[in-house]
Amino acid sequence: MPSHPDHLAGVWHIRCRDPPIAAGAQACQRRPSLYKNPKGRLLRAMVRDQDDAPTAVPEPEPLIELRGVAKTFGPVKALSGLSARVGRGEFVTVVGPSGCGKSTLFNIVAGLEEPDPGGALRFEGKSCHAAELLGRVSFMPQRDLLLPWRNVIDNATLALEIEGRPRKAARAEALRMLPEFGLAGFEAQYPHQLSGGMRQRVALMRTFLFERDLMLLDEPFGALDALTRTLMQRWLLDVWQRHRRTILFITHDVDEAIFLGDRVLVMTARPGAVKLEQRIDLPRPRRPDLVTAPDFIRLKRTLLEAIEEESLKSFQTAEERTR
Amino acid sequence: MSLVAAAAPAGPRAAGFARRIGVRLATLLAVAFAWEGLVLLLGIRPFYLPRLSAVLAAILATPGAYASGFLRTLTETLIGFVAGGAFGVAVAVAFLRLRTLREMVFPLFVVSQTIPVIAFGALVVLWFGNTLMAKAVIAFYLTFFPVTVNALIGLEAVDPRQIALMRSFGASPRQILLRLQLPSALPQTFVALRLAASLSLVGAIVGEWFGDTTGLGVLLLQAMYTENVVAIWAALLVSAFLGTGFYAAVAFVERRLVFWGAEQ
Ligand SMILES: Nc1ncnc2c1ncn2[C@@H]1O[C@H](COP(=O)(O)OP(=O)(O)OP(=O)(O)O)[C@@H](O)[C@H]1O
Ligand SMILES: [Mg+2]
Repeated sequence: MPSHPDHLAGVWHIRCRDPPIAAGAQACQRRPSLYKNPKGRLLRAMVRDQDDAPTAVPEPEPLIELRGVAKTFGPVKALSGLSARVGRGEFVTVVGPSGCGKSTLFNIVAGLEEPDPGGALRFEGKSCHAAELLGRVSFMPQRDLLLPWRNVIDNATLALEIEGRPRKAARAEALRMLPEFGLAGFEAQYPHQLSGGMRQRVALMRTFLFERDLMLLDEPFGALDALTRTLMQRWLLDVWQRHRRTILFITHDVDEAIFLGDRVLVMTARPGAVKLEQRIDLPRPRRPDLVTAPDFIRLKRTLLEAIEEESLKSFQTAEERTR
Repeated sequence: MSLVAAAAPAGPRAAGFARRIGVRLATLLAVAFAWEGLVLLLGIRPFYLPRLSAVLAAILATPGAYASGFLRTLTETLIGFVAGGAFGVAVAVAFLRLRTLREMVFPLFVVSQTIPVIAFGALVVLWFGNTLMAKAVIAFYLTFFPVTVNALIGLEAVDPRQIALMRSFGASPRQILLRLQLPSALPQTFVALRLAASLSLVGAIVGEWFGDTTGLGVLLLQAMYTENVVAIWAALLVSAFLGTGFYAAVAFVERRLVFWGAEQ
């Protein structure tokens, strides 16, 4: 495992470059395990990246970039001509009509599905196959998928165990994180003993413990009631601010998309592509009363219009097919 | 495996368990009294049904023979059961991984299972002689197939999204097998293991009929030849004790390991 001080310095430099200084620096100190990437690939890429750093970048260099990506499942065209980029440290939310290919997009970025030939996929500035992303992106699927025979702690540390982290160290780390996720005292409970919100937080904790630069969250709060949901949103922003990961976040809720994101991607009806990319310049930290601010409402109107148009389209195609 | 570490939470469960045991003991006692009482009351001839007390007395008269028979048959059953269970699961994993192997071998397995165990037993005795191994092999033969079938069903029923999640963590096929697929298949596998608990005993007893000097099957056969009705019932009772005891042990292990029930 390469761990020369100067290598580390390079990584530190990159990692601490863009986030607000105090929080970012803390995050760097708190998480030395990031440098223990299994193949050392991440590390090397980052160091190189520092050597030939472009002199004038308009926005943070993209962590992941998709260009003209398509995916077909037999007769179904799920994605077609999708292009998107996510900068390091960015929080990007994705909205779109049901069935437009959001989860498919995530499966590609998580390395689970290979896109159709023709498109381009770049991670950390290098073009790559989707399969190379396996184990390098921390992915939270639409359902919590907790293992019923593992208690809270053992579910949360599943990914660490697979990485080969010693069980004791992994458990200690997870135990320390429990209060932050509102799960203190529940470490020995089994999934069937937990409420839906708690299960979701265990799944989130599992995703956070698997420390990767890019986090994919597929409707993490979709199954929660409205109140729990807003609490979880505020909490997630809080945790994100402290840990400074890059997050790609799927939701059906426009308020949620605006409240959380630096940018919102609106997807078209199937085949999915990016219809609209809306920058959200609302100040952070974002307060709960933001949702009634005029700026927020204005953004919401723009986005809702775009989404409605697409939802209508997918609704009509569905109707035509049933006819 | 991590399963063992994650033993079931006890507590209210233990109380329920004690209650269940109590109910069962009471039922057993009721049956015993009914047996004894009805034989006396209806004047049933011992040739058809001897009194329970007479059967118990016969066992207590020569406890050594029954004890050694019990132990011998238990050993054969256990070896056959463990080997059959392990082989059954291993084959299920192999079938899961290698489609062609499955297509080639699975029909052979089905054919092997259509051979009556008696015919197969004769062959096994030819191969292995009158050894303990011969009986264990017959118990094995009856055991592995249901385990293979059920374990395979369980392995194939694993949620593909769950496998996808493990893969996204960078898990190897081996890690996915140990941490996800095998535990997921456990409830379904235990359905077969409970069945196999009874079948392996049948295999062991039938195996003993081909010739041996100790074992419950031998006691049964001897009693039949001498038309000693009480001895037949005695051997039967001890076999039933072995069978239920073994089944209960397997069910107990199942309750400990598969504590989460059929969720989702
Ligand atoms: N493995 C697959 N095999 C066949 N078709 C698939 C597969 N995965 C997705 N699809 C199809 O691709 C389309 C997009 O599915 P996807 O799950 O990505 O939609 P989504 O935007 O996530 O929907 P939702 O908002 O309801 O979660 C759907 O029509 C779906 O049926
Ligand atoms: Mg989806």
